[in-house]
Amino acid sequence: MNVRAHMSMLFHLDKCIGCHTCSVACKNLWTDRKGAEYMWWNNVETRPGSGYPTQWENQEHFQGGWEFKDGKLRLRLHSRAAGLLKLFFNPALPSLEDYYEPFTYRYQDLFNAPAGDDQPTAIPISMITGEPMEIKSGPNWDDDLGGSNIYARNDPNLEDVPAEVRAQLDELERVVFNYLPRICNHCLNPACVAACPSGAIYKRQEDGIVLVNENRCRAWRMCVAACPYKKVYYNWSTGKSEKCILCFPRLETGQAPACAHSCVGRIRYMGVLLYDADRLPEAAMVPDEQLVDAQRDAILDPFDPEVIAAAKANGLGDDWIRAAQLSPVYQFVKVWKLALPLHPEYRTLAMMFYIPPLSPVVSVIEDGLFRLDLSDANHDFELFHRLSAARLPVQYLANLFTAGNQEIIRQTLVKMLAVRLYMRRKTVDGEVDEKLIKLLAEAGTTPQEAEAIYQLTTQPTLEERFVLPPYHREMAVEAWKDPLAHKGEAGLGYLQVPRRGE
Amino acid sequence: MVVVILAAPVYLVKATSLQQASSEGQAIFAQKCQACHTIGGGRLVGPDLQGVTQRRDLAWLKGFIAAPDQVLASGDPIATQLLAEYNNVPMPNLALSPAEVDALIAYLENPTAGGAANVPPAAAPVGAGDPARGQALFSGQVRLQNGGVSCIACHSAAGLPALGGGALGPDLTQVVQRYGGEAGTASVLASLPFPTMQGFFATRPLTPQEQADLLAYFVWAGAQPAPQPTTTPVTWFWAVGVGGALALFAGMALFWPRQRRSISEQLRSRG
Repeated sequence: MNVRAHMSMLFHLDKCIGCHTCSVACKNLWTDRKGAEYMWWNNVETRPGSGYPTQWENQEHFQGGWEFKDGKLRLRLHSRAAGLLKLFFNPALPSLEDYYEPFTYRYQDLFNAPAGDDQPTAIPISMITGEPMEIKSGPNWDDDLGGSNIYARNDPNLEDVPAEVRAQLDELERVVFNYLPRICNHCLNPACVAACPSGAIYKRQEDGIVLVNENRCRAWRMCVAACPYKKVYYNWSTGKSEKCILCFPRLETGQAPACAHSCVGRIRYMGVLLYDADRLPEAAMVPDEQLVDAQRDAILDPFDPEVIAAAKANGLGDDWIRAAQLSPVYQFVKVWKLALPLHPEYRTLAMMFYIPPLSPVVSVIEDGLFRLDLSDANHDFELFHRLSAARLPVQYLANLFTAGNQEIIRQTLVKMLAVRLYMRRKTVDGEVDEKLIKLLAEAGTTPQEAEAIYQLTTQPTLEERFVLPPYHREMAVEAWKDPLAHKGEAGLGYLQVPRRGE
Repeated sequence: MVVVILAAPVYLVKATSLQQASSEGQAIFAQKCQACHTIGGGRLVGPDLQGVTQRRDLAWLKGFIAAPDQVLASGDPIATQLLAEYNNVPMPNLALSPAEVDALIAYLENPTAGGAANVPPAAAPVGAGDPARGQALFSGQVRLQNGGVSCIACHSAAGLPALGGGALGPDLTQVVQRYGGEAGTASVLASLPFPTMQGFFATRPLTPQEQADLLAYFVWAGAQPAPQPTTTPVTWFWAVGVGGALALFAGMALFWPRQRRSISEQLRSRG
């Protein structure tokens, strides 16, 4: 057993209101620079929709992630030899149009326009060329299904959804959408790392954050193509690749990443997961429908004495093990089995997890009136027993989170519904009947667990949402520096020491 | 009397220093000049230096010995004429210090002072050389015994395979003719006095047998019919260049339509 720690984020999609505060916080902090204008290390997509870059899930086109064929795991992008041949021309790379051409407005025109009959306007200009441009798309162009349905209709996850269900999504009265915030998944089996010809990308051992060493990056951009989530970006100004760094400077000083910290709906949780690095190959090489379970199996129980001993043997301190035990991510992913990785079929073993969203019951139109597609009795329990009536098709969610395994999505949704019914009955009626207890058991949970899920979902404190282990940078510095000399610099040492006489 | 006594040591010191300079000069001559020059032994690669101090102006001589390349580059008439006279083989800059130049001139003024009256060409081991073995040595198929780098690294010559040798040094096909016959070439092979080569061969000299073999090979190479310099007409270059560019453009035009349109553009155009 090779126990390692991983900082993981969890997104409770049932709570996301799609306000883009996370994206703005991240933008302001990290990508408000020349060459990074088009980058959104954190973005929020409306689903069904095509996302950003447009149709990033279309791996026929973008060739991201891994392929499991004949018992072997291969990069979908290219083999080593083919990679060498395509070194200078990689057709799978997304173009700027696949993202969008970043724009701003010539605000000075509002003040400098000569007197005239018309209101002055600020015309859009490209942030790359500075020339006036016609805006054709943006990072959330199909936000809230706005404008046109071409983006939603071309969501790759809808491909194997039955035609009548797809048609239903198009009807105004039955339309449904949810939000999908995305950052780098800091995968356990990252395709970007595997594809980099310069060896510039690495996964930090201490917390699993995947980083680009910009000093070694040689702008081959294989990572951009190989990442199935299209979360590595190429900075056209510096000629280096950039990606989400999980705000490691914030983590190292005990703060949650900016996107999580600023989240208005408090949908994000942050915590340590312990995983068995030896078990990763088998976790990545199972048939599609077993991928979620295999990945859950690779995540270890931080209360197991064997795991603790192995973790300590690997140099993990007591405080990290304690953080892993208190981790909300561990609770949701492993104990309650409510959280799922995004697109496990890419086989990168993504380590950011999502709790799928619930959706209302489909409505039908009768005599010009809307009516929910419910039988008259037992409204509450209707959806519980008939998930096919949920507006968000189960197959669609399965394509997003379980590589098509509908059973796992069903179990998850049923459990969430059970918790909801249980807590509603408890708070509204003040009592819980036998029927409900039976229903909880049917959903594979207990009143105690339901209470705990409810607590962590709706009323967590900041400390419960973000369980950040201490990084001990003050101790790490001893490895290469005299701590007393370091103290004299108060942590603000020189990056480049000025040389006397220059 | 007093004057004589006082002056005597001065005279003695002067005499000794002259003699010393002369013998130093002899050593330098043996090491760096003898490959191409004799004193009273006749022309070799370069002129016989017997009485050179009388033939030439002293200042010119000093300057030429110190930096023959610069003198030649300055368009000096004597140097130009000498170059033409001696098969266009320029004298290399031997990187001598001013003191060494003085010592050499002291020696050249009176070569007999050291004892030896007449310096013949350097011992030329013109024995039975094997041209085939010489070629093997040249091309590196057989290693030089003292670890010297094979000639092919820097030189080319007739009889080598298609790609020839290096281009750092001159082509050695006609070397025997240029260096005034076998004796001259042999003496050059004995010491390889060129500064570029000295850097390597000073400590890794050719063995007498190797010298003989190489010489035999050069003699053989010199006897080969002179290779016809392949002159390609300029129009050919133009044709190949323009044709190649057109072919590339044609290839690009073929692949250009296959460039991918962005997906969002495809979606928009589909409506």
